[in-house]
Amino acid sequence: MLEIDQLTVKRDQQTLRYQVQVEAGEILAIQGCSGVGKSTLLGVIAGFVTPTGGSLRWQGQDLLTRPPEQRPVSMLFQDNNLFEHISALDNLKLGFDGPPPLRAIEDAASSLGVSDLLHKKPATLSGGQRQRIAIIRTLLRPEPIVLLDEPFAELDQQTRGIASDWVAAIARQSDKTLLLVTHQQEDVTRLADRALVL
Amino acid sequence: MSRFFALLLTSLLSASVIAADKQADLTVYTYDSFVSEWGPGPKLEQAFEARCQCNLEFIAAEDGVSILNRLRIEKSKNKADVILGIDDALIEETRATGLIAPHQQDLSGLKAELKWTDSDFAPFDYGYFAFVYDSSKISQPVSSLDQLVKSDASVLYQDPRTSTPGQGLMMWMKAVYGDQSEQAWQQLASHTVTVTKGWWEAYSMFLQGSADYVLSYSTSPAYHIVAEGKQQYKAALFSEGHVAQIEVAAVTRTSDNPALARDFLHFLTSSEAQTIIPVTNWMLPVTDNVELPQAFDQLIAPKRIGFSNQEVASQRKKWLREWRNAAAR
Amino acid sequence: MLIAGYAALLLSSLITLLAFAGLIGFSDAAVDWALLSDRYFHSVLLFSLKQAALSTLLSLLLAWPLARALYYLPELPARRSFLSLCLLGFVMPTLVLITGLVALLGRNGYLTPLLGDNWNLYGLNGILIAHIYLNLPYAVRVLLQQLQHIPDRSWVLARQLKLSPWQRLRLVEWPVLKPSLLLLSGFIFVLCFNSFAVVLALGGGPGATTLEVAIYQALKYDFNMAEALTLAWTQLLIAGGLFLLLNRAGSSRWLTADSMVRGNTPPTAVWMRQIHRAIYLIAWGCLLLPVLALLPALFQADLLRFDWMALLAPTLTSLSLALAAALAAMVLAYLMLFPIRHSHRQRKARRRLLLEWLSTHALVAPAMVISVGLYIFLLQRIDLDRWGIAFVALLNMAVIIPFAIQQLKPRLLQYDAQYQQLSQSLKLSRLQQLRIEWPFIRAAFTATFALILLLALGDVAIISIFGGDDWQTLPLLIYSYAGSYRITEASIASLLLLLICAALVGLLERVKQDA
Repeated sequence: MLEIDQLTVKRDQQTLRYQVQVEAGEILAIQGCSGVGKSTLLGVIAGFVTPTGGSLRWQGQDLLTRPPEQRPVSMLFQDNNLFEHISALDNLKLGFDGPPPLRAIEDAASSLGVSDLLHKKPATLSGGQRQRIAIIRTLLRPEPIVLLDEPFAELDQQTRGIASDWVAAIARQSDKTLLLVTHQQEDVTRLADRALVL
Repeated sequence: MSRFFALLLTSLLSASVIAADKQADLTVYTYDSFVSEWGPGPKLEQAFEARCQCNLEFIAAEDGVSILNRLRIEKSKNKADVILGIDDALIEETRATGLIAPHQQDLSGLKAELKWTDSDFAPFDYGYFAFVYDSSKISQPVSSLDQLVKSDASVLYQDPRTSTPGQGLMMWMKAVYGDQSEQAWQQLASHTVTVTKGWWEAYSMFLQGSADYVLSYSTSPAYHIVAEGKQQYKAALFSEGHVAQIEVAAVTRTSDNPALARDFLHFLTSSEAQTIIPVTNWMLPVTDNVELPQAFDQLIAPKRIGFSNQEVASQRKKWLREWRNAAAR
Repeated sequence: MLIAGYAALLLSSLITLLAFAGLIGFSDAAVDWALLSDRYFHSVLLFSLKQAALSTLLSLLLAWPLARALYYLPELPARRSFLSLCLLGFVMPTLVLITGLVALLGRNGYLTPLLGDNWNLYGLNGILIAHIYLNLPYAVRVLLQQLQHIPDRSWVLARQLKLSPWQRLRLVEWPVLKPSLLLLSGFIFVLCFNSFAVVLALGGGPGATTLEVAIYQALKYDFNMAEALTLAWTQLLIAGGLFLLLNRAGSSRWLTADSMVRGNTPPTAVWMRQIHRAIYLIAWGCLLLPVLALLPALFQADLLRFDWMALLAPTLTSLSLALAAALAAMVLAYLMLFPIRHSHRQRKARRRLLLEWLSTHALVAPAMVISVGLYIFLLQRIDLDRWGIAFVALLNMAVIIPFAIQQLKPRLLQYDAQYQQLSQSLKLSRLQQLRIEWPFIRAAFTATFALILLLALGDVAIISIFGGDDWQTLPLLIYSYAGSYRITEASIASLLLLLICAALVGLLERVKQDA
């Protein structure tokens, strides 16, 4: 279980407060107006934002004392998810402890319709293509907690459906605890067990 | 690419092996151009080693002052048996290090015009500072320092803070003008092209045609005649007289082999060495009856004026300051 | 890696410290306070500041339109060769440049008849021309690079909003130039402030004396450690303080991400294009002329009789020394940047400033004091006649490290800004990080290496103090030719040195393009 208890973050002049519990294997959608602190919450969990108070626990263990590299987290940022100067495939191979799961990557790429793009540099891809490549890696990495910051923002209606179904399937299948920030009600109904409105 | 690196490495290694050859019997501190392959160093080394059956090693500093500075830094830990290439203006400062032993040489063979009596430092060549001009461009050269100063001919000279000829001109001006030298410097500054750091900067600018006169040595024309066959460069003879630069050698008090060191000093004034030095260092021999190329007969024979070494040592700072203020435009 | 970085910083600081210790420890020299109220000292200080400020201002003012011309007209003929020539200009050995300028603009120069009767190269004129020649090309490269970092999106937006040329200048171009302008001007100012050879050769008299020249004089002829130290501290204080100030003001902005697509740079008006072309043409002329002016010396020489073999060993020595110094400097600079990048990420502004200053301090420290001080320190302890050559490499390395830092830092900080979180989130190992970082910095890395290699190749100051006569380098050989009336040989050797520099520039620009 992921427990976020009395967590406070100071941002500019205001103080953001978080109080959430997420069951292991649960998929939680986080909603709310722009600037309310959705991405900040993901940042705290991943370790890039330091809170001023409260606690963050995973399976009973304190995460706040650990640097980002030692947290059981795989995160999709809003941007800068891919190294621009190496190929999409090389990007996909990163972030795995041992050898990367090439079969799974290929399967995922064909499910999401990006198989032909794997040898191109990200800079030559469209926003939606880049986003799908990044989603694949984020989900396939062997971390129990997955954080997705507006993962489908740049996808068209049809691809969006395919991608969210794929995410849901992989998350269920490998028992991920998944938090996703989204503005779309459709993502919530299609994917999430529960929605949290900040 | 890797072959290129291999070549570089080999050259580095072989050079370091050469550098670490056998122990020298006699170590001589001198300046760079003295030991360059066209300087007197290699020939003198060969000639002396044949005589003494010993191993002579030159260690070169940048110039004469650097030899003195090295002694000042190393003090009694210096490696030199002989220092060679200090000029007479630096004698007192060098003596003050307390590292110089008497040379015990017989001075009677030296040219009379040198009036040499110093018991620590022995001369091996000398020259007069002089302004050199191109006779194909100037048919009526100036005949005195005063004429030059009051003319509007363009002049190049060297900074007395950084070069020996520059210091020479400073003494020259002082000897000719005395208390009036400040005005003379100002007048000279009005038609000075530039003041350079060292001798060659000024001289090469002159050869490129940057000025009518350049401060150099009375012997400079000999080089152009002997090495290049060019006759047009001449030194102007000044009626007030010229200041000399006398290059000297000395034995160090710390030498392990003072007898050999004195032999080397003696060798420097031998007719063999005195024949080598003028045509490699382009200065005049300090002994009479040395056989030289004809070009040397055409050189000017100036009257010698100037100050004693003690006077130079005690007044140098004051003169420099005077020049600095007067020549600053 | 952090520890290695701190060790590298310590090593380079230690060289400076030992040098000062050498001076202070020798004859227990104290600072000569009386000098501070001396009229001569004031005039030296004032002149150093004046010529440096003017050189900087003029270099930047002239470099700006040229950089714009190169940016807006990528199709200019021989544009890449021009950029190579710029690099060559920046690293041109000063003695070669001075000879060229005198041949061109001296009293009998090829261009002098066009300049009127009152023209005189020597004095402030000559100093400014030489400093501009050395620094403008560098400024052009930096400004152009900066302009090329304008994201294509900005241009799309600017055109969509129908911004006027003035608005584009103010809103799109100026913001990317501003932060680097401050750093660039500080950099050029410090280089000119510490200028030595140019000032001595073209200054024209004691009226044109910089602090560095005064230090040389105090050390060499007066052997006056106290005066040298006072001058050195003054120089360190002014140049160092200024550099610190500008570093603080200028480094607050990130470089933007690379935009590989570039299709939306607004087209310029026809008349503007003509102006750009004209500027470009004039710049070609100005950069080439001093080099071309050296050529006639070749025709005077008997090239067949010339002893070419005499140049071989010095050339190899020069190359080996420069390679050793440049390689070591690259490694140390890269290591030093670890703690600097770390403090950037941690947003520790003070520590970052301190580390950045330390890593580039050799730029502002008086070179004369460092080499002479270290010489004094070592001469009493080590057999320099045997080991001097190692210290030539070491000191050359120390002197070029700041340039390496200057060049590598922006690229690495850009990498961190773009990818640091991603790398952390992906839990990349050190080796993986290096492997991914390398292709990103390779171009900057090679260009930096070329630059510092060329700088090391032109050194004479250090080798003339430390090198014995067993180690002749090409620049030293040029001096020694010239010091024995062999002016023609000196010109030939100068041209060879220039040719080697040009070849290296060409080679490394090609490597860079392949990357």
